[in-house]
Amino acid sequence: MKDQVAIAGAATTGFTTKNSGRTQTSFAAQAAIDVIRRCGLTKDDVDGLCGSWPAAHVLQSALGLSRVTWFGNPVIPLVDHVATAAAAVHAGLCETVLVYHAPYRAAWNTSGSLKDPFRRIATPGLSEPQPGPDTVAAGVGYTAWASRYVYEFDVKREDFGIVALNARANAARNPAAAMREPLSMDDYLAARMIREPLCLYDMDPAVDGGDAFIVTTTERARNLPLPPVLINAAVLGQVSPNEEDQTTSLRANGQQVVIDTLKAKGDFWLDEVDVYFPYDGFTPITLNWIENAGWCAPGEGGAFMRQHWDPAEGRVLINGRIPVNPHGGSLSEGATQGSGHIREAVHQLQGLAGERQVEDAQRALITAGGFFFNAQGLMLHTS
Amino acid sequence: MTISDEALVERFPGQPITHDNAEHYRGRLDHRLLLGKCRSCGHWHSPPKPVCPQCWSFDVESAPVSGTGTIYMAVFLHQGPPAPGVDYSVPYPVVTVELDEQPGLRFTATVVGADNDAIRIGGRVRLSWIERAGMPVPVFELNEAAQ
Repeated sequence: MKDQVAIAGAATTGFTTKNSGRTQTSFAAQAAIDVIRRCGLTKDDVDGLCGSWPAAHVLQSALGLSRVTWFGNPVIPLVDHVATAAAAVHAGLCETVLVYHAPYRAAWNTSGSLKDPFRRIATPGLSEPQPGPDTVAAGVGYTAWASRYVYEFDVKREDFGIVALNARANAARNPAAAMREPLSMDDYLAARMIREPLCLYDMDPAVDGGDAFIVTTTERARNLPLPPVLINAAVLGQVSPNEEDQTTSLRANGQQVVIDTLKAKGDFWLDEVDVYFPYDGFTPITLNWIENAGWCAPGEGGAFMRQHWDPAEGRVLINGRIPVNPHGGSLSEGATQGSGHIREAVHQLQGLAGERQVEDAQRALITAGGFFFNAQGLMLHTS
Repeated sequence: MTISDEALVERFPGQPITHDNAEHYRGRLDHRLLLGKCRSCGHWHSPPKPVCPQCWSFDVESAPVSGTGTIYMAVFLHQGPPAPGVDYSVPYPVVTVELDEQPGLRFTATVVGADNDAIRIGGRVRLSWIERAGMPVPVFELNEAAQ
């Protein structure tokens, strides 16, 4: 499949941490129409659909896409959707897939979202009894491993904080980002703890919005208006055991599978990367991706980011040139479950990233997801 | 007498009880912490699974663990899901404990009877039990004598 399938374009609605008064279908439809038009296509050209929220049949009816021959509803984060759509295209199940994602402030996430009665209805199981606090399942798992990270490497909170500061500085350059006001280390250290050792700024904020992509054959993409972004390698990495509290260690989880596979299957590696996207749903995930990818040694992710901090730019530029999550990441653009990272990579490689544009960007590395069930990798390039 | 499946679900509202872990929850009613163990190869696993991940035998049981171990990870919740008797005004400790039965075999629970400052990764603990709204809950206590 290498380089045989491409992302022909990407679009976003932008994101907000407010209750938008809109549905996920509304956001997905807006981003979808935008990307279909940018790619010079019409609704009749789309014969595949791939997304999680809303379900494919719902979006198909909303957009009036007359016929599709394939659709899928994979689970987040979004490398799964891009990889699955690419495989469907490569296998000939369809030719042109609309990949979409509408992050949403579900009533699980925030007390503020509960104020929207439609959101309460739209959040399944909200009124059911829930397990108590005696677990590190779900989001707490990253905090648990953050405690282990601090224990093993004797790092300070500032190591997590610099991830948040870099994200916020980048978001200031991104009009689509939800959180753009400046964030200082003092702000970070003064923020309230949520799940110690992690505070408010260590977690991505739930947002409303949408991203959409067109995935098709490279051959077809070359005949469309925007420069094709070729899918060089993709992987969903997972190991056993993978439960949050049974996962073997920070150096033996899905991230190692992702890195090993990308290095084996891809055509470039760190020395040739122009822009890097480590997932940042929680700050310790980012540090571990940086370390496991081999940018630096285990436990040195925070020090690495300090070493490559560009004071003039007020953000990390690895070797003075490679930005890290230039869109602001999930921490500051908003919790997009990876769709924002992929969309920004596409825009960077197409030269459409505005004031964030990395000059002559040709190769992007995306390491999405966390440790347990969702470590993913994607390598994109222009030729 | 073995409690029925229906009664078990009523005793543990909100808990994700399945055919694979029901014995674990029945054990809680007797203040016994039962985890998965293979009768064929002796390998422990958690949470309970229908098959031994090591040797693929379906002859697995829920067997009691001693409940002693070492804190592997430690979180302090400054906010969290509502639970009877849980007051987040003092951050609620949740620890993952590596049990003495087997390297990598872990169980997650809160810690009682200790200041949060004393709850540290590497510390030794032992199992205890509390009641929460009529539901037995496994907890850990610091096991200073075993440091």
